[in-house]
Amino acid sequence: MTSLVNARSVSKNFGAVRAVDNVSFEIEKGKILGLIGPNGAGKTTLLKAVLGLTECEGDLSVLGFDPFRQRKQLMQNICFIADVAVLPRWIKVSQILDYVEAIHPNFSRSRAEELLLQTSVRSDAKVKELSKGMVTQLHLSIIMAIDAKLLVLDEPTLGLDILFRKEFYANLLNDYFDEERTILITTHQVEEIENLLTDVMFINDGKILLDSSMDALSDTYVEVMASGEGAQKARGLGPIAETEMFGKSVMLFEGVSREHFEGLGEIRIPSVTDLFVAKIKEARK
Amino acid sequence: MINHYAALIKREFWEHRSIWITPVAISTIVTLGVLTMLMFVSGFAKELDLAIFGAQNIASDNERQAALTGFFLGTSWVFLLALGFLTVFYCLDSLYAERKDKSILFWRSLPVTDAETVISKLMTALVVIPIVAVLGIIATHIINLIVTSIWVASKGGNAGTLIWGSVPLLDNWAAAFIVTLAGAVWMSPFIGWFLFISAYAKRMPLLLAFMPIFVIPMLEGIFLRSSVFAETVLDRGGLPLFRSMDFDAMFEEEQWRVSEDVASLLNHIDIVKFLTTPSLWAGIIVCGLFVTAAIYVRRYRDDS
Repeated sequence: MTSLVNARSVSKNFGAVRAVDNVSFEIEKGKILGLIGPNGAGKTTLLKAVLGLTECEGDLSVLGFDPFRQRKQLMQNICFIADVAVLPRWIKVSQILDYVEAIHPNFSRSRAEELLLQTSVRSDAKVKELSKGMVTQLHLSIIMAIDAKLLVLDEPTLGLDILFRKEFYANLLNDYFDEERTILITTHQVEEIENLLTDVMFINDGKILLDSSMDALSDTYVEVMASGEGAQKARGLGPIAETEMFGKSVMLFEGVSREHFEGLGEIRIPSVTDLFVAKIKEARK
Repeated sequence: MINHYAALIKREFWEHRSIWITPVAISTIVTLGVLTMLMFVSGFAKELDLAIFGAQNIASDNERQAALTGFFLGTSWVFLLALGFLTVFYCLDSLYAERKDKSILFWRSLPVTDAETVISKLMTALVVIPIVAVLGIIATHIINLIVTSIWVASKGGNAGTLIWGSVPLLDNWAAAFIVTLAGAVWMSPFIGWFLFISAYAKRMPLLLAFMPIFVIPMLEGIFLRSSVFAETVLDRGGLPLFRSMDFDAMFEEEQWRVSEDVASLLNHIDIVKFLTTPSLWAGIIVCGLFVTAAIYVRRYRDDS
């Protein structure tokens, strides 16, 4: 079994609102998948369904478990950081390590202590005495000391300054990730993670707009910056989005091979952000 | 499994430090009170000096034992009263605070089921807090016996026979243990209700928990012209654990006489009567229903 998460026609309604609408996808082992969507797109709901925190319709299997009904077994092999401020404020760092050590069969306390030594988090400090960045470091140290098959990060760096954010992702890639692990991540700060993703999924209004590997993305999408006649010709090839920049037209194409644009202007690989904006606009037309 | 629950209950001690701070505080206050009283009576005659605990002027051992039991009982009631308040606030906070500070998502990210979490909180209220209270009672007794022994000895009395020889320690402590645990089980429908409200309330759990106790009797009175609910709640006030006492026998010949039977607290306790009281079991079932509801609310609620 190489696919860790297998979703077939998964839906979730909140009253009349369809937060997740008939979604199907797979996540394979060893991938870092970015789940990207605007606010209210259904990202968090989808993650909650994967984590067994909410019930949903359709077939959803995570590591072979039904996440809602077998949450305890699932949580032995899966970790998540849902938001930065979720560690209880009254607990001491040493107490939280004691607790996770007693509860979690796959937690290595020595590894967590090793990771904490690299930070300025002291083991006798209470969470409420720590800065927001330090709380995240603590949480990440705990998570990285758990030998889990799947790590789910929902806006893990929200509210942190840029230094912490950079460090967070560097730690994650260097000290944690290997081919045995899989990471599912959502964030608004797409630019910060697009270089570390292996796969990307766009979601809007509860539907998947795009589900692709990053490699396939650069084959499928082309961005052309052109002016005058070059722009005219390019426009004839049917861009999915067009914007103006420095008096030139920036056009995004889907499924049109690169050789068509030779000599028309500057050819680039579109950024995930631009692609995302184009896809959302296209969907809203 | 046991380690699992041990960790969950240890967690409750970290979060709710009042569970162990309250007994320590009461013990300190009682000891200070006893010291003050000892100092105060020091100014009187020697007989009176010794009259508090190991009074030489009290006729028989039974009466001395009863006098000491009286003091012990007084201390224990203070603990039980505080325990009652503590349990109410503990239960109401136990599943509410984690939602308020949003740490619930952290707790739920670990391999612990919602049922295990809620049951660990029920066990804390039903068993752990009562045991801590009994330990507090025992420690307070020992500390105060030592204090009064020193005082009696300094007055020339024989603390060995007057105090320690007269104290029915094990009898008192066993009785305190039984009464406290039985009391907690007897009150379990309220514990279950408070846990449910703690899991359910979006805000103001205290208000929400106590409102029905006033509103339901009012509505029942207006619409049904009955008072079944109020009577059922009030019935919980009396713990059906004790034998009825024969006060007349204690006042033979216009004089206070205490027989051996009366001085022993355990002799007043009737466990069979307690266990065969139908409303005890009805209460346990009600507790079970509320706890099940609390587990479901924690599991299915999606407002994080």
